[in-house]
Amino acid sequence: MGLTNTGRWKIQGFWFGVLLLLALPGRSLWAQVDLTGEWSPRIYNDGRDVGDYTGIPLNEPGRLRAEAWHPEQFDLPENICRPHAFDIGLRVAPAQLYISNELDSATQLILDYHFHAYWSDFRIWMDGRPHPPDYAAHKFSGFSTGHWEGSTLVFTTDHLKEGFITRTGAPLTEKATVTTRVNRYGNVLTMVFIINDPAYLTEPYIRESSWVYDPQQVIPAFPCEPSPEGTIIPAGSVPNYLPGKNDILTDFAKEYGIPPEAALGGAETTHPDYIKKMKTMKTLPRTTTTHFQRQG
Amino acid sequence: MKMRCPISLVRAGRTFTFTLALALPGAACLSAQGFGARPQGDAPAPAARTPRAVTPKDLTGYWESIVTEYWRYRMIVPDKSDYVIVPLNAEGRKIADAWDPAKDKADGNECKGYGAAAIMQVPGRLHIYWQDDNTLRIDTDSGTQTRLLHFGGSAPQGQAPTWQGYSVASWDGIRPDTQRAGGGGPVVGGAAGAQGAIGSGPRQVGGAVPGYLKVVTTQMRPGYLRKNGVPYSDRATVEEYFDRFVDPYSNENWLVVTTVVTDPQYLLEPSITHAHFKKIADGSGWDPTPCRADEAR
Repeated sequence: MGLTNTGRWKIQGFWFGVLLLLALPGRSLWAQVDLTGEWSPRIYNDGRDVGDYTGIPLNEPGRLRAEAWHPEQFDLPENICRPHAFDIGLRVAPAQLYISNELDSATQLILDYHFHAYWSDFRIWMDGRPHPPDYAAHKFSGFSTGHWEGSTLVFTTDHLKEGFITRTGAPLTEKATVTTRVNRYGNVLTMVFIINDPAYLTEPYIRESSWVYDPQQVIPAFPCEPSPEGTIIPAGSVPNYLPGKNDILTDFAKEYGIPPEAALGGAETTHPDYIKKMKTMKTLPRTTTTHFQRQG
Repeated sequence: MKMRCPISLVRAGRTFTFTLALALPGAACLSAQGFGARPQGDAPAPAARTPRAVTPKDLTGYWESIVTEYWRYRMIVPDKSDYVIVPLNAEGRKIADAWDPAKDKADGNECKGYGAAAIMQVPGRLHIYWQDDNTLRIDTDSGTQTRLLHFGGSAPQGQAPTWQGYSVASWDGIRPDTQRAGGGGPVVGGAAGAQGAIGSGPRQVGGAVPGYLKVVTTQMRPGYLRKNGVPYSDRATVEEYFDRFVDPYSNENWLVVTTVVTDPQYLLEPSITHAHFKKIADGSGWDPTPCRADEAR
Protein backbone atom coordinates (compact mmCIF):
# COMPACT_ATOMS: atom_id res chain seq x y z
CA MET A 1 0.00 0.00 0.00
CA GLY A 2 1.37 3.40 -0.93
CA LEU A 3 0.46 6.99 -1.04
CA THR A 4 -0.36 8.96 -4.13
CA ASN A 5 2.20 11.49 -5.21
CA THR A 6 -0.14 14.19 -4.02
CA GLY A 7 -0.46 12.65 -0.59
CA ARG A 8 3.27 12.07 -0.35
CA TRP A 9 3.98 15.64 -1.25
CA LYS A 10 1.45 16.84 1.28
CA ILE A 11 3.07 14.82 4.06
CA GLN A 12 6.56 15.77 3.01
CA GLY A 13 5.47 19.39 2.77
CA PHE A 14 3.96 19.19 6.23
CA TRP A 15 7.14 17.92 7.81
CA PHE A 16 9.19 20.38 5.79
CA GLY A 17 7.03 23.12 7.22
CA VAL A 18 7.54 21.85 10.74
CA LEU A 19 11.29 21.66 10.25
CA LEU A 20 11.29 25.13 8.72
CA LEU A 21 9.46 26.53 11.72
CA LEU A 22 11.90 24.84 14.06
CA ALA A 23 14.82 26.12 12.05
CA LEU A 24 13.75 29.76 12.28
CA PRO A 25 13.24 30.37 15.97
CA GLY A 26 13.66 33.77 17.34
CA ARG A 27 14.09 35.65 14.13
CA SER A 28 10.54 36.82 13.87
CA LEU A 29 10.60 38.58 17.21
CA TRP A 30 13.63 40.64 16.30
CA ALA A 31 13.66 43.59 14.03
CA GLN A 32 16.59 45.27 12.42
CA VAL A 33 18.33 48.05 14.31
CA ASP A 34 17.27 50.97 12.20
CA LEU A 35 19.80 53.74 12.33
CA THR A 36 18.40 55.61 9.37
CA GLY A 37 16.65 58.95 9.56
CA GLU A 38 17.15 62.40 10.99
CA TRP A 39 19.02 62.79 14.28
CA SER A 40 19.24 65.98 16.26
CA PRO A 41 22.42 66.55 18.30
CA ARG A 42 22.24 66.62 22.07
CA ILE A 43 25.89 66.85 22.94
CA TYR A 44 27.33 69.78 21.15
CA ASN A 45 30.99 70.49 20.90
CA ASP A 46 32.61 70.83 24.26
CA GLY A 47 32.86 74.59 24.18
CA ARG A 48 36.58 74.31 24.61
CA ASP A 49 38.77 77.33 24.86
CA VAL A 50 42.32 77.83 23.64
CA GLY A 51 44.64 76.06 26.05
CA ASP A 52 41.97 73.55 27.09
CA TYR A 53 43.36 70.12 26.33
CA THR A 54 41.82 68.59 29.39
CA GLY A 55 41.19 64.87 29.23
CA ILE A 56 43.16 64.40 26.02
CA PRO A 57 46.09 61.98 26.31
CA LEU A 58 48.39 64.21 24.25
CA ASN A 59 52.07 63.44 24.12
CA GLU A 60 54.68 66.20 24.12
CA PRO A 61 54.85 66.67 20.31
CA GLY A 62 51.06 66.81 20.22
CA ARG A 63 51.00 69.43 22.93
CA LEU A 64 53.61 71.53 21.11
CA ARG A 65 51.54 71.42 17.94
CA ALA A 66 48.46 72.43 19.89
CA GLU A 67 50.24 75.33 21.55
CA ALA A 68 51.38 76.64 18.16
CA TRP A 69 47.82 76.83 16.88
CA HIS A 70 46.27 80.26 16.51
CA PRO A 71 42.48 80.81 16.41
CA GLU A 72 42.79 82.97 13.32
CA GLN A 73 44.11 80.05 11.30
CA PHE A 74 40.52 79.16 10.57
CA ASP A 75 40.15 82.50 8.80
CA LEU A 76 42.76 81.77 6.15
CA PRO A 77 41.10 81.43 2.74
CA GLU A 78 42.25 77.85 2.37
CA ASN A 79 40.81 76.91 5.77
CA ILE A 80 37.44 78.66 5.81
CA CYS A 81 35.63 75.86 4.02
CA ARG A 82 38.01 73.10 5.05
CA PRO A 83 36.00 70.14 6.36
CA HIS A 84 36.68 68.61 9.73
CA ALA A 85 37.81 65.04 10.15
CA PHE A 86 34.70 62.88 10.25
CA ASP A 87 34.45 62.46 14.02
CA ILE A 88 34.92 66.05 15.12
CA GLY A 89 32.70 66.99 12.21
CA LEU A 90 29.96 65.11 14.00
CA ARG A 91 30.58 67.03 17.22
CA VAL A 92 30.73 70.56 15.94
CA ALA A 93 27.42 72.31 16.45
CA PRO A 94 25.06 72.13 14.73
CA ALA A 95 25.87 68.47 14.02
CA GLN A 96 22.46 67.62 12.68
CA LEU A 97 22.81 64.15 11.30
CA TYR A 98 21.07 62.23 8.58
CA ILE A 99 21.74 58.52 8.20
CA SER A 100 20.68 56.53 5.20
CA ASN A 101 21.68 53.24 3.73
CA GLU A 102 22.11 51.81 0.30
CA LEU A 103 21.02 48.31 -0.62
CA ASP A 104 22.63 46.06 -3.15
CA SER A 105 19.81 45.58 -5.61
CA ALA A 106 20.76 41.98 -6.30
CA THR A 107 21.29 40.70 -2.78
CA GLN A 108 19.29 43.23 -0.74
CA LEU A 109 22.24 43.37 1.65
CA ILE A 110 23.22 46.72 3.06
CA LEU A 111 26.04 47.96 0.92
CA ASP A 112 26.85 50.98 3.02
CA TYR A 113 25.58 53.47 5.57
CA HIS A 114 25.79 57.11 4.63
CA PHE A 115 26.29 59.57 7.51
CA HIS A 116 25.68 63.14 6.54
CA ALA A 117 26.07 66.10 8.88
CA TYR A 118 26.60 69.79 8.38
CA TRP A 119 30.35 69.45 8.75
CA SER A 120 30.85 65.80 7.98
CA ASP A 121 29.87 63.38 5.25
CA PHE A 122 31.10 59.82 4.90
CA ARG A 123 30.14 56.26 4.06
CA ILE A 124 30.60 53.08 6.02
CA TRP A 125 31.09 50.14 3.72
CA MET A 126 29.35 47.00 4.92
CA ASP A 127 30.04 44.72 1.99
CA GLY A 128 33.30 43.24 3.18
CA ARG A 129 35.60 45.26 0.98
CA PRO A 130 39.12 45.77 2.32
CA HIS A 131 40.60 49.11 3.23
CA PRO A 132 42.78 50.60 0.51
CA PRO A 133 46.57 50.36 0.74
CA ASP A 134 48.52 52.90 2.78
CA TYR A 135 49.51 54.88 -0.29
CA ALA A 136 45.90 55.51 -1.31
CA ALA A 137 44.55 59.02 -1.03
CA HIS A 138 43.65 60.30 2.44
CA LYS A 139 40.48 62.34 2.87
CA PHE A 140 38.80 64.30 5.64
CA SER A 141 36.06 61.69 5.58
CA GLY A 142 38.57 58.85 5.68
CA PHE A 143 37.69 55.33 4.64
CA SER A 144 35.33 53.33 6.84
CA THR A 145 34.22 49.73 6.98
CA GLY A 146 31.71 48.43 9.49
CA HIS A 147 30.17 45.33 10.96
CA TRP A 148 27.57 44.53 13.58
CA GLU A 149 28.43 43.33 17.07
CA GLY A 150 25.06 42.34 18.46
CA SER A 151 23.01 45.49 18.20
CA THR A 152 26.05 47.75 17.90
CA LEU A 153 27.35 49.03 14.60
CA VAL A 154 31.13 49.12 14.82
CA PHE A 155 33.14 50.83 12.14
CA THR A 156 36.79 51.61 11.64
CA THR A 157 38.06 54.66 9.82
CA ASP A 158 41.52 55.29 8.45
CA HIS A 159 43.01 57.19 5.52
CA LEU A 160 42.20 60.45 7.27
CA LYS A 161 43.84 63.74 6.40
CA GLU A 162 45.65 65.66 9.07
CA GLY A 163 43.09 67.54 11.14
CA PHE A 164 42.11 68.32 14.69
CA ILE A 165 40.73 66.53 17.74
CA THR A 166 39.29 69.79 19.02
CA ARG A 167 38.48 73.06 17.34
CA THR A 168 41.11 74.65 19.51
CA GLY A 169 44.12 73.10 17.88
CA ALA A 170 44.70 69.68 19.46
CA PRO A 171 46.06 67.91 16.42
CA LEU A 172 45.19 64.67 14.66
CA THR A 173 47.58 63.18 12.13
CA GLU A 174 47.00 61.23 8.96
CA LYS A 175 48.25 58.16 10.84
CA ALA A 176 45.18 58.20 13.07
CA THR A 177 42.62 55.42 13.05
CA VAL A 178 39.22 55.80 14.66
CA THR A 179 36.95 52.99 15.80
CA THR A 180 33.35 54.08 16.35
CA ARG A 181 30.58 52.18 18.13
CA VAL A 182 27.05 53.25 17.25
CA ASN A 183 24.20 52.27 19.55
CA ARG A 184 20.57 53.13 19.30
CA TYR A 185 18.91 53.29 22.71
CA GLY A 186 15.29 53.82 21.81
CA ASN A 187 15.21 57.28 20.30
CA VAL A 188 18.71 58.15 21.49
CA LEU A 189 21.65 57.48 19.20
CA THR A 190 25.11 57.41 20.69
CA MET A 191 28.50 57.14 19.10
CA VAL A 192 31.61 56.23 21.06
CA PHE A 193 34.75 57.32 19.24
CA ILE A 194 38.05 55.62 20.09
CA ILE A 195 40.81 57.63 18.48
CA ASN A 196 44.20 56.05 18.06
CA ASP A 197 46.93 58.39 16.87
CA PRO A 198 50.41 56.99 17.49
CA ALA A 199 51.97 60.33 16.53
CA TYR A 200 50.31 62.62 19.07
CA LEU A 201 48.50 60.47 21.64
CA THR A 202 50.04 58.27 24.29
CA GLU A 203 46.96 56.07 24.44
CA PRO A 204 43.62 55.83 22.64
CA TYR A 205 41.34 58.78 23.31
CA ILE A 206 37.70 57.87 23.92
CA ARG A 207 34.77 60.24 23.72
CA GLU A 208 31.10 60.07 22.91
CA SER A 209 28.28 62.05 21.34
CA SER A 210 24.50 61.65 21.31
CA TRP A 211 21.60 62.51 19.07
CA VAL A 212 17.83 62.27 19.47
CA TYR A 213 15.55 61.00 16.70
CA ASP A 214 13.93 63.98 15.03
CA PRO A 215 12.08 63.11 11.82
CA GLN A 216 11.03 66.74 11.30
CA GLN A 217 14.59 68.00 11.25
CA VAL A 218 15.85 69.84 8.19
CA ILE A 219 19.58 70.14 7.73
CA PRO A 220 20.33 73.57 6.30
CA ALA A 221 22.42 74.20 3.26
CA PHE A 222 26.16 74.59 3.71
CA PRO A 223 26.71 78.17 2.63
CA CYS A 224 30.48 78.23 2.79
CA GLU A 225 32.39 80.42 0.41
CA PRO A 226 36.09 81.12 0.71
CA SER A 227 36.99 84.75 1.17
CA PRO A 228 39.65 86.23 -1.09
CA GLU A 229 43.12 86.30 0.36
CA GLY A 230 43.78 89.32 2.51
CA THR A 231 40.17 90.16 3.33
CA ILE A 232 40.23 88.69 6.84
CA ILE A 233 43.86 87.92 7.55
CA PRO A 234 46.64 90.01 6.00
CA ALA A 235 47.83 88.39 2.80
CA GLY A 236 50.97 86.33 3.06
CA SER A 237 50.78 85.59 6.77
CA VAL A 238 49.84 82.51 8.72
CA PRO A 239 48.83 83.31 12.31
CA ASN A 240 50.66 81.10 14.78
CA TYR A 241 52.49 81.01 18.09
CA LEU A 242 56.12 80.06 18.23
CA PRO A 243 57.07 77.61 21.00
CA GLY A 244 56.77 79.24 24.41
CA LYS A 245 55.26 82.42 22.95
CA ASN A 246 51.55 81.64 23.23
CA ASP A 247 50.36 84.45 25.48
CA ILE A 248 46.77 83.20 25.70
CA LEU A 249 47.64 79.60 26.51
CA THR A 250 46.95 79.87 30.23
CA ASP A 251 43.78 81.95 29.98
CA PHE A 252 41.60 78.89 30.24
CA ALA A 253 43.36 77.61 33.35
CA LYS A 254 43.24 81.08 34.87
CA GLU A 255 39.52 81.47 34.31
CA TYR A 256 38.53 78.16 35.80
CA GLY A 257 41.07 77.93 38.60
CA ILE A 258 42.77 74.88 37.12
CA PRO A 259 46.50 74.27 37.51
CA PRO A 260 47.97 75.29 34.12
CA GLU A 261 49.81 72.00 33.84
CA ALA A 262 46.56 70.07 34.27
CA ALA A 263 44.85 72.07 31.54
CA LEU A 264 47.41 70.86 29.04
CA GLY A 265 46.10 67.30 29.19
CA GLY A 266 47.97 64.02 29.23
CA ALA A 267 46.87 60.54 30.17
CA GLU A 268 47.63 61.03 33.86
CA THR A 269 45.08 63.83 34.10
CA THR A 270 42.20 61.51 33.18
CA HIS A 271 42.44 59.37 36.32
CA PRO A 272 40.52 60.07 39.55
CA ASP A 273 43.71 60.16 41.60
CA TYR A 274 44.80 63.23 39.68
CA ILE A 275 42.26 65.19 41.73
CA LYS A 276 44.47 64.65 44.77
CA LYS A 277 47.56 65.66 42.87
CA MET A 278 45.97 68.90 41.69
CA LYS A 279 45.59 69.98 45.31
CA THR A 280 49.36 70.20 45.50
CA MET A 281 49.72 72.10 42.25
CA LYS A 282 49.88 75.82 41.72
CA THR A 283 46.99 77.71 40.21
CA LEU A 284 47.00 81.19 38.75
CA PRO A 285 45.01 84.09 40.18
CA ARG A 286 41.51 84.04 38.74
CA THR A 287 40.98 87.30 36.95
CA THR A 288 37.63 86.61 35.36
CA THR A 289 34.53 84.55 36.03
CA THR A 290 32.75 85.12 32.76
CA HIS A 291 33.59 81.65 31.51
CA PHE A 292 30.09 80.26 31.64
CA GLN A 293 29.06 82.61 28.86
CA ARG A 294 31.61 81.14 26.54
CA GLN A 295 30.60 78.26 24.37
CA GLY A 296 32.16 77.15 21.13
CA MET B 1 -2.91 1.03 -6.45
CA LYS B 2 -3.91 4.46 -5.41
CA MET B 3 -4.93 5.31 -1.91
CA ARG B 4 -6.53 8.53 -0.79
CA CYS B 5 -6.18 9.97 2.68
CA PRO B 6 -9.48 10.35 4.45
CA ILE B 7 -10.83 13.91 4.31
CA SER B 8 -10.98 14.03 8.08
CA LEU B 9 -7.31 13.17 8.32
CA VAL B 10 -6.41 15.85 5.81
CA ARG B 11 -8.46 18.38 7.75
CA ALA B 12 -6.89 17.28 10.99
CA GLY B 13 -3.49 17.61 9.39
CA ARG B 14 -4.30 21.11 8.19
CA THR B 15 -5.56 22.08 11.63
CA PHE B 16 -2.45 20.63 13.21
CA THR B 17 -0.27 22.48 10.73
CA PHE B 18 -2.10 25.71 11.42
CA THR B 19 -1.73 25.22 15.15
CA LEU B 20 1.93 24.46 14.78
CA ALA B 21 2.39 27.44 12.56
CA LEU B 22 1.08 29.62 15.35
CA ALA B 23 2.68 27.90 18.28
CA LEU B 24 6.08 26.77 17.11
CA PRO B 25 7.68 30.10 16.29
CA GLY B 26 6.75 31.46 19.65
CA ALA B 27 7.80 28.37 21.54
CA ALA B 28 10.97 27.98 19.57
CA CYS B 29 11.75 31.62 20.00
CA LEU B 30 11.29 31.45 23.73
CA SER B 31 13.34 28.29 23.80
CA ALA B 32 16.12 29.98 21.87
CA GLN B 33 16.23 32.66 24.51
CA GLY B 34 16.34 30.21 27.32
CA PHE B 35 12.84 30.49 28.68
CA GLY B 36 11.44 27.30 30.04
CA ALA B 37 14.51 25.31 29.15
CA ARG B 38 15.34 22.36 31.38
CA PRO B 39 18.54 20.45 31.53
CA GLN B 40 18.65 16.85 30.42
CA GLY B 41 17.76 14.22 32.99
CA ASP B 42 15.69 14.41 36.12
CA ALA B 43 17.74 16.98 37.97
CA PRO B 44 15.71 20.06 38.75
CA ALA B 45 16.66 23.15 36.87
CA PRO B 46 18.83 25.10 39.29
CA ALA B 47 19.58 28.76 38.98
CA ALA B 48 20.53 28.19 35.37
CA ARG B 49 17.99 30.67 34.03
CA THR B 50 18.54 33.43 36.53
CA PRO B 51 19.67 36.82 35.25
CA ARG B 52 23.04 36.08 36.75
CA ALA B 53 23.34 32.79 34.89
CA VAL B 54 22.27 34.06 31.50
CA THR B 55 24.02 37.41 31.58
CA PRO B 56 25.25 38.01 28.03
CA LYS B 57 27.94 40.50 28.99
CA ASP B 58 29.94 40.23 32.17
CA LEU B 59 30.12 43.66 33.78
CA THR B 60 31.56 42.45 37.06
CA GLY B 61 34.92 43.52 38.38
CA TYR B 62 36.67 46.74 39.25
CA TRP B 63 36.44 49.72 36.94
CA GLU B 64 38.06 53.14 37.03
CA SER B 65 36.71 56.39 35.59
CA ILE B 66 38.68 57.78 32.70
CA VAL B 67 37.66 61.41 32.46
CA THR B 68 38.18 62.44 28.85
CA GLU B 69 35.05 64.54 28.48
CA TYR B 70 33.61 67.43 30.45
CA TRP B 71 36.76 67.35 32.49
CA ARG B 72 36.29 70.78 33.99
CA TYR B 73 32.81 69.88 35.23
CA ARG B 74 33.97 66.64 36.80
CA MET B 75 37.60 66.85 37.95
CA ILE B 76 37.03 70.13 39.74
CA VAL B 77 33.91 71.55 41.34
CA PRO B 78 32.56 74.04 38.79
CA ASP B 79 31.63 77.51 39.87
CA LYS B 80 28.17 78.35 41.00
CA SER B 81 25.83 79.00 38.06
CA ASP B 82 28.07 77.18 35.59
CA TYR B 83 25.41 74.96 34.05
CA VAL B 84 26.56 75.04 30.46
CA ILE B 85 25.05 72.31 28.27
CA VAL B 86 22.55 71.20 30.96
CA PRO B 87 19.01 71.89 29.63
CA LEU B 88 17.88 73.57 32.85
CA ASN B 89 14.60 75.46 32.93
CA ALA B 90 14.16 78.73 34.80
CA GLU B 91 13.20 77.00 38.04
CA GLY B 92 16.26 74.78 37.82
CA ARG B 93 18.52 77.76 37.23
CA LYS B 94 17.09 79.47 40.25
CA ILE B 95 17.98 76.47 42.39
CA ALA B 96 21.45 76.22 40.85
CA ASP B 97 22.07 79.93 41.40
CA ALA B 98 21.31 79.47 45.10
CA TRP B 99 23.74 76.57 45.59
CA ASP B 100 25.36 76.69 49.02
CA PRO B 101 27.68 73.78 49.82
CA ALA B 102 28.08 74.94 53.43
CA LYS B 103 24.33 74.67 53.90
CA ASP B 104 24.28 71.22 52.31
CA LYS B 105 26.97 70.18 54.74
CA ALA B 106 25.13 71.61 57.71
CA ASP B 107 21.88 69.97 56.63
CA GLY B 108 23.42 66.54 56.16
CA ASN B 109 22.88 66.71 52.40
CA GLU B 110 26.45 66.17 51.32
CA CYS B 111 25.41 63.18 49.19
CA LYS B 112 23.30 65.31 46.85
CA GLY B 113 26.02 65.17 44.21
CA TYR B 114 26.35 61.40 44.50
CA GLY B 115 22.79 60.29 43.67
CA ALA B 116 21.90 57.85 40.91
CA ALA B 117 21.50 60.60 38.31
CA ALA B 118 25.06 61.80 38.81
CA ILE B 119 27.17 59.11 40.45
CA MET B 120 28.57 57.76 37.18
CA GLN B 121 29.89 61.25 36.42
CA VAL B 122 31.80 61.48 39.70
CA PRO B 123 35.40 60.40 39.09
CA GLY B 124 36.21 57.23 40.99
CA ARG B 125 36.08 53.48 40.89
CA LEU B 126 33.26 50.99 40.62
CA HIS B 127 33.09 47.51 42.03
CA ILE B 128 30.38 45.59 40.18
CA TYR B 129 29.30 42.16 41.39
CA TRP B 130 26.24 39.97 41.81
CA GLN B 131 24.72 40.40 45.23
CA ASP B 132 22.39 37.50 44.43
CA ASP B 133 21.07 35.78 41.32
CA ASN B 134 18.75 38.67 40.50
CA THR B 135 20.63 41.70 41.77
CA LEU B 136 23.68 43.32 40.28
CA ARG B 137 25.41 45.54 42.78
CA ILE B 138 27.58 48.58 42.12
CA ASP B 139 29.72 49.97 44.90
CA THR B 140 31.48 53.28 44.34
CA ASP B 141 34.53 54.42 46.23
CA SER B 142 33.60 58.06 45.61
CA GLY B 143 30.97 58.89 48.16
CA THR B 144 30.89 55.23 49.28
CA GLN B 145 27.59 54.61 47.57
CA THR B 146 25.81 51.36 46.73
CA ARG B 147 23.48 50.84 43.83
CA LEU B 148 21.32 47.74 43.48
CA LEU B 149 20.15 46.86 39.98
CA HIS B 150 17.12 44.59 40.28
CA PHE B 151 16.40 42.29 37.35
CA GLY B 152 12.75 41.60 36.71
CA GLY B 153 9.69 43.17 38.22
CA SER B 154 9.08 46.81 38.70
CA ALA B 155 9.81 49.40 41.32
CA PRO B 156 7.70 48.85 44.45
CA GLN B 157 5.39 51.68 45.32
CA GLY B 158 5.40 53.63 48.51
CA GLN B 159 9.04 53.29 49.40
CA ALA B 160 10.88 56.21 50.89
CA PRO B 161 13.12 57.86 48.29
CA THR B 162 16.87 57.36 48.61
CA TRP B 163 19.95 58.83 46.95
CA GLN B 164 20.27 55.81 44.70
CA GLY B 165 16.53 55.19 44.27
CA TYR B 166 15.17 51.91 42.99
CA SER B 167 16.71 50.50 39.82
CA VAL B 168 15.12 47.98 37.49
CA ALA B 169 17.55 46.31 35.10
CA SER B 170 17.12 44.33 31.91
CA TRP B 171 19.25 43.20 29.00
CA ASP B 172 18.11 45.07 25.98
CA GLY B 173 19.03 45.71 22.40
CA ILE B 174 17.80 44.47 19.13
CA ARG B 175 19.94 42.27 17.04
CA PRO B 176 20.36 43.30 13.45
CA ASP B 177 18.66 41.56 10.61
CA THR B 178 21.58 39.49 9.46
CA GLN B 179 20.21 39.33 5.96
CA ARG B 180 21.19 42.94 5.63
CA ALA B 181 23.80 43.39 8.28
CA GLY B 182 26.86 43.02 6.13
CA GLY B 183 30.36 43.10 7.45
CA GLY B 184 33.37 45.30 7.06
CA GLY B 185 36.54 44.36 5.39
CA PRO B 186 39.99 44.21 6.91
CA VAL B 187 42.13 47.24 7.54
CA VAL B 188 45.21 46.99 5.40
CA GLY B 189 48.44 48.33 6.84
CA GLY B 190 48.59 51.40 9.08
CA ALA B 191 48.57 51.45 12.84
CA ALA B 192 45.39 49.45 13.11
CA GLY B 193 46.44 46.93 10.55
CA ALA B 194 49.54 46.16 12.51
CA GLN B 195 47.40 45.16 15.46
CA GLY B 196 45.00 43.01 13.53
CA ALA B 197 42.34 43.31 10.96
CA ILE B 198 39.75 45.45 12.68
CA GLY B 199 36.33 44.86 11.32
CA SER B 200 37.36 41.70 9.56
CA GLY B 201 35.91 39.28 12.06
CA PRO B 202 33.27 36.79 11.12
CA ARG B 203 29.97 38.29 10.20
CA GLN B 204 27.44 38.10 12.97
CA VAL B 205 25.14 35.20 12.34
CA GLY B 206 22.01 35.75 14.29
CA GLY B 207 23.66 38.39 16.45
CA ALA B 208 22.65 36.36 19.47
CA VAL B 209 24.10 38.70 22.06
CA PRO B 210 21.78 41.45 23.25
CA GLY B 211 23.51 44.74 23.10
CA TYR B 212 23.44 46.41 26.45
CA LEU B 213 22.19 46.57 29.99
CA LYS B 214 19.33 48.99 30.47
CA VAL B 215 18.63 50.36 33.94
CA VAL B 216 15.70 52.55 34.89
CA THR B 217 15.88 54.29 38.26
CA THR B 218 13.10 56.11 40.09
CA GLN B 219 12.26 56.99 43.70
CA MET B 220 15.32 59.15 44.21
CA ARG B 221 15.86 61.92 46.69
CA PRO B 222 16.43 65.29 45.01
CA GLY B 223 20.07 65.75 44.13
CA TYR B 224 22.61 67.42 41.87
CA LEU B 225 23.51 66.56 38.30
CA ARG B 226 26.79 68.37 38.91
CA LYS B 227 28.66 69.01 42.09
CA ASN B 228 27.89 72.72 41.84
CA GLY B 229 24.23 72.39 42.68
CA VAL B 230 22.65 71.84 39.24
CA PRO B 231 19.48 70.17 40.46
CA TYR B 232 17.29 67.21 39.70
CA SER B 233 14.06 66.64 41.57
CA ASP B 234 12.37 63.67 43.20
CA ARG B 235 10.26 63.43 40.05
CA ALA B 236 13.28 62.60 37.93
CA THR B 237 13.73 59.32 36.10
CA VAL B 238 17.15 58.01 35.14
CA GLU B 239 17.66 55.69 32.20
CA GLU B 240 21.10 54.20 31.85
CA TYR B 241 22.67 52.05 29.18
CA PHE B 242 25.78 50.02 30.02
CA ASP B 243 27.90 48.82 27.14
CA ARG B 244 31.08 46.82 27.59
CA PHE B 245 33.63 46.30 24.83
CA VAL B 246 37.30 45.83 24.11
CA ASP B 247 39.28 48.72 22.70
CA PRO B 248 40.79 47.33 19.49
CA TYR B 249 43.97 49.35 19.87
CA SER B 250 45.05 48.70 23.42
CA ASN B 251 42.88 45.64 24.11
CA GLU B 252 41.66 47.34 27.26
CA ASN B 253 38.17 46.53 28.53
CA TRP B 254 35.86 49.52 28.58
CA LEU B 255 32.51 50.15 30.15
CA VAL B 256 30.57 53.08 28.73
CA VAL B 257 27.53 54.31 30.59
CA THR B 258 25.09 56.60 28.80
CA THR B 259 22.74 58.34 31.22
CA VAL B 260 19.48 60.00 30.24
CA VAL B 261 17.87 62.05 33.00
CA THR B 262 14.29 63.16 32.55
CA ASP B 263 12.98 65.66 35.06
CA PRO B 264 9.73 67.53 34.44
CA GLN B 265 10.50 69.90 37.29
CA TYR B 266 13.94 71.25 36.43
CA LEU B 267 14.82 70.17 32.90
CA LEU B 268 13.51 71.47 29.60
CA GLU B 269 14.30 68.16 27.96
CA PRO B 270 16.22 65.01 28.92
CA SER B 271 19.85 65.54 29.84
CA ILE B 272 22.26 63.05 28.26
CA THR B 273 25.71 62.37 29.65
CA HIS B 274 28.36 59.70 29.17
CA ALA B 275 30.91 58.14 31.47
CA HIS B 276 33.80 55.92 30.50
CA PHE B 277 35.43 53.32 32.74
CA LYS B 278 38.47 51.18 32.14
CA LYS B 279 38.72 47.76 33.76
CA ILE B 280 41.38 47.46 36.42
CA ALA B 281 42.88 44.29 37.80
CA ASP B 282 41.61 44.47 41.35
CA GLY B 283 40.57 46.72 44.17
CA SER B 284 44.04 47.71 45.24
CA GLY B 285 43.43 51.31 44.22
CA TRP B 286 40.10 51.46 46.00
CA ASP B 287 39.94 54.82 47.73
CA PRO B 288 36.67 55.23 49.62
CA THR B 289 35.69 58.77 50.38
CA PRO B 290 32.66 60.11 52.20
CA CYS B 291 30.15 62.32 50.43
CA ARG B 292 31.63 65.79 50.21
CA ALA B 293 29.72 68.85 49.16
CA ASP B 294 32.71 70.88 48.09
CA GLU B 295 35.02 68.30 46.54
CA ALA B 296 35.09 66.81 43.06
CA ARG B 297 34.87 63.28 44.49
